[in-house]
Amino acid sequence: MMEMPSTTAGQGAAVSGRSTGGNAGDIAFGVLARLAGWSILLVMAGIIIVLVSGGWQAFAAFGPGFITSTAWNPISHNFGAATSIFGTLVTTVVALVFAVPFAFGVAFWLVEMAPPALARVIETAVQLLAAVPSIIFGMWGFFIVVPFMAHYVEPVATRYLGHVPGIGLLFRGAPYGTGLLTGGLILAIMVTPFICSVMADVFVSIPAVLKESAFGLGATRWEVMRKVVLPWSRQAVMGGIMLGTGRALGETMAVTFVIGNSNRLGWSLFAPGNTIASLIALEFPESSAGSLKLSALLALGAILMVISFITLACSRMFLQRGLKN
Amino acid sequence: MNTLTMDNRPAQARLAPAIAIRNLDFWYGENHALRGISLDFPTRQVTGMIGPSGCGKSTLLRILNRMYDLYPGQRAMGEVLFDGRNILSPGIDVNVLRSRIGMVFQKPTPFPMSIYDNIAFGVRLHERLSRTEMDQRVENVLRRVALWGEVKDRLNASAAALSGGQQQRLCIARTIATRPEIILLDEPTSALDPISTARIEELLDELKQEFSIAIVTHNLQQAARCADRVAFFYMGELVEVDTADKMFTAPHEKRTQDYITGRFG
Repeated sequence: MMEMPSTTAGQGAAVSGRSTGGNAGDIAFGVLARLAGWSILLVMAGIIIVLVSGGWQAFAAFGPGFITSTAWNPISHNFGAATSIFGTLVTTVVALVFAVPFAFGVAFWLVEMAPPALARVIETAVQLLAAVPSIIFGMWGFFIVVPFMAHYVEPVATRYLGHVPGIGLLFRGAPYGTGLLTGGLILAIMVTPFICSVMADVFVSIPAVLKESAFGLGATRWEVMRKVVLPWSRQAVMGGIMLGTGRALGETMAVTFVIGNSNRLGWSLFAPGNTIASLIALEFPESSAGSLKLSALLALGAILMVISFITLACSRMFLQRGLKN
Repeated sequence: MNTLTMDNRPAQARLAPAIAIRNLDFWYGENHALRGISLDFPTRQVTGMIGPSGCGKSTLLRILNRMYDLYPGQRAMGEVLFDGRNILSPGIDVNVLRSRIGMVFQKPTPFPMSIYDNIAFGVRLHERLSRTEMDQRVENVLRRVALWGEVKDRLNASAAALSGGQQQRLCIARTIATRPEIILLDEPTSALDPISTARIEELLDELKQEFSIAIVTHNLQQAARCADRVAFFYMGELVEVDTADKMFTAPHEKRTQDYITGRFG
């Protein structure tokens, strides 16, 4: 590694007779860049080691049952991950149910219909939405969305959907306002910009002539979108959705504000619950070093990492396949 | 529509032109791209449009099916008469118009779906056919473009797997499947090898029995081989239009002569 830069430095001096200071800088920069690159792996390894070794105590104490147990009792030192895994997955699914059609609508309108000047404004707004700190969403959710859900949305949903066989189960229960549904909705608003910008990017990247061919056969904008653009960009769109999923899974502060933070597992979306991230955020300051509870929280962190990794891997796979087409 | 397509009167018979353009002007924003164009496209003949790049010939083609509508800032003024109506008027249903005036592009543009669905796509937009009727339509148009023998065993395979020449014939099949009266071709062979090009040219000769054809081409030999009448465009103006014979042997205008002898463009 050291040999090659020194030979080039020698040649540089021999050929031009200029000072070799520039080459010394080059070497220093190369070393720094290399260090920066490798340090990423180091950080990743550090995180994994801390999570796994810290969580080992909990995994050892509860075995695989840790993942399926719904207990969370600091008094009797009995901890399980099932409730918070459940809350994490439910809020993420709720978020996607709302965010995907919403993001698609925005992207479709931006790319296909909006006047260019207006589209630029809305695009910037979408990017700004992505930049809003999650704590702001949390406070906004707590003061605006929670009361709104409690007074209007949840009672109405119970009244009209509560009796539907099957899905009715999801819409029963006391309208607290805080709960899985509200958590999912806040998440939906937060992940929409990510999904939307990926969608808008792939919709724009479609060869104009392919769309014109479909228009040339007499297709409407919607028919072109549904039958040509979406099939063409399916993989990349899936990648964008997984990207949003990854963010929804790990989102902490906003969810902690509105989810109710209760260790429950049930059908109702109105019921308060918790997610892995919100549980860790709330309980971490109250766990003493070396305690089984702290270990359980670190084990939860490890589980969240695994779920996020899988999601991100799927996202990358879809995006890469999408780009190849 | 059917009476028109089934009609087998010889092309020489005096018919109203398929499309009549009168005093057409076109702008890309501030750029005045076409000026005072008046041109007839005779029924069931091939009209070739030639001229140097940027002369407006492709622009003219894209006016005929209102493709320019998709883009803000582009506007046309004047008259384009098709079936007794000015297609530039706001009351025209462009989706119906585009099913009656089909278009084939420079590069083959198969949709990301099967060979069968590529053809069924356009038909399904405008007609409700039973499965058997659709099968017949697909087979019929594939036979017409001489592709049936090559693809009949893999109709459900992706169209992307076909060669460039096959894809372009598929695109022509897809266009005639909606039973248009007019086919617009925008340099349809410029991305193809000579053999595929020859096959498309033969195909044009056959298709003009049934369809009126407008073809934009950079290839003067192609215009001479395929077109009954040729129009020469230069800098947004229609310089001259005549039969292919006269155009390439005894043009009236000096600019035409300069172009076809290769002095510019």
